[in-house]
Amino acid sequence: MWAHVWGFLYSNYFRFWLKWVLRLLTGKCELQRLLGGAEAGARRTLSVEHSLESSKNKVLRNAVHVEEAEVEKCVRDVMKEKKIGQKDTRFKTNLRISLLQISGYKKLYLDVENLRKVPYDSENEEHEEQLIELWHLLMPHENLKARISKQWCDIGFQGDDPKTDFRGMGLLGLVNLVYFSKHYTNEARQILSRSNHPKLGYSYAIVGINLTEMAYSLLKNGALKGHLYNMVSGLPQMEHFHQFYCYLVYEFDKFWFEEEPESIMHFNQYREKFHEKIKGLLLDHNVLLTLPDTKKP
Amino acid sequence: MGLLTILKKMREKERELRLLVLGLDNAGKTTLLKRLNGEDVGGTSPTLGFNIKTLEHRGFQLHVWDVGGQSSLRSYWRNYFESTDGLVWVVDSSDHERLRLCARELRALLREERLAGASLLVFANKQDLPGALPAADIRQALELDSIRSHRWRLQGCSAFTGRDLLPGLDWLLDDIGARLCPID
Repeated sequence: MWAHVWGFLYSNYFRFWLKWVLRLLTGKCELQRLLGGAEAGARRTLSVEHSLESSKNKVLRNAVHVEEAEVEKCVRDVMKEKKIGQKDTRFKTNLRISLLQISGYKKLYLDVENLRKVPYDSENEEHEEQLIELWHLLMPHENLKARISKQWCDIGFQGDDPKTDFRGMGLLGLVNLVYFSKHYTNEARQILSRSNHPKLGYSYAIVGINLTEMAYSLLKNGALKGHLYNMVSGLPQMEHFHQFYCYLVYEFDKFWFEEEPESIMHFNQYREKFHEKIKGLLLDHNVLLTLPDTKKP
Repeated sequence: MGLLTILKKMREKERELRLLVLGLDNAGKTTLLKRLNGEDVGGTSPTLGFNIKTLEHRGFQLHVWDVGGQSSLRSYWRNYFESTDGLVWVVDSSDHERLRLCARELRALLREERLAGASLLVFANKQDLPGALPAADIRQALELDSIRSHRWRLQGCSAFTGRDLLPGLDWLLDDIGARLCPID
């Protein structure tokens, strides 16, 4: 209750006066203080984002939704609004990077969401090719005898046709699985073989799709901001989302074998525990969640 | 603890029911559970293990267990039979090829001793899909009319849109209620 009242008073009154006093003392506006002092990365961009979003000025508020092509102009407009000299190149460069990161994150979410919304379609050749590619990457020494085959269970799908397993995550689930197997082939094969453990085993592909859901929901609710702002000093791309998925797969496998669950029936409980762990890590402003250096093929 | 409190506790216990949701993989069990619980049903992934949710409906507390349906998990189903009041069997009405398998798995379940007392609700799910078989065909394919061991009801529905879920659930609660407290 008190926290609510305080939050309301702060964002509506105190924040304004605090900024006014600081401006008098330092001779700089909030954006200048943020972009001039702190080091580049999540802390700075998150503060800039908050500052822009809670601004009363429309130009500043709209800046977080700027298109890539409009960034230069938007930077100039913000500087004009805040009466900052256009020659302040340090401010200009730093604001430009932050705007690319902020609006890029929103764009990345839309791209990911669009891919998720594409249902897997067995009539579509491209979809089918990717599915077959996944098989070859994971099972190089074994031929797939038919498109509909019990063999799919060997890489952890539920039945003889993986198509239905992609339901909620759509093509995004498949693209992630293929990305990990393609860029971290050794790790993927190793994890697949560990997932066949007689006691602690799990369904490799299904767990992968569940982890896609986790990565997707973290992106959707904004939890990945810190990580991506630290990772990319510009526009985050689809590839960075896939990379984060790879991190989850790699770490989940480790986590699962450390925890030694009683059986696969406890999967949801351990997935939640893992989810909490990752959410905890993402709270740190210096967070950077990447795979340890591995040899790429 | 006074007598009144004990009676009250027992009364509360009576209002708690345990429902078990089973069916082949991709039948729509988790979507059904999410829909009943008022959650977003868009991003459902295949279930490994189980989900459990407690719902309130008509003054009952429903503990609903949704257990993954892929073949490797079916051997674990038996771990969830104990004290089940109602069994909900979910059928993907658009999966023509696996209807016989679906019928076989249901038959096997109905032979389980620990499910002997449970009322059976069959959801002919995915009626929103163009290729879905109507409920009457599902009734035939699953040979529901020959079931003597359980009281049952078939309900066409769509867990995705939420259509006709409640009539099924209401029948289930009525039937369990009539069995548990015949005087009411």
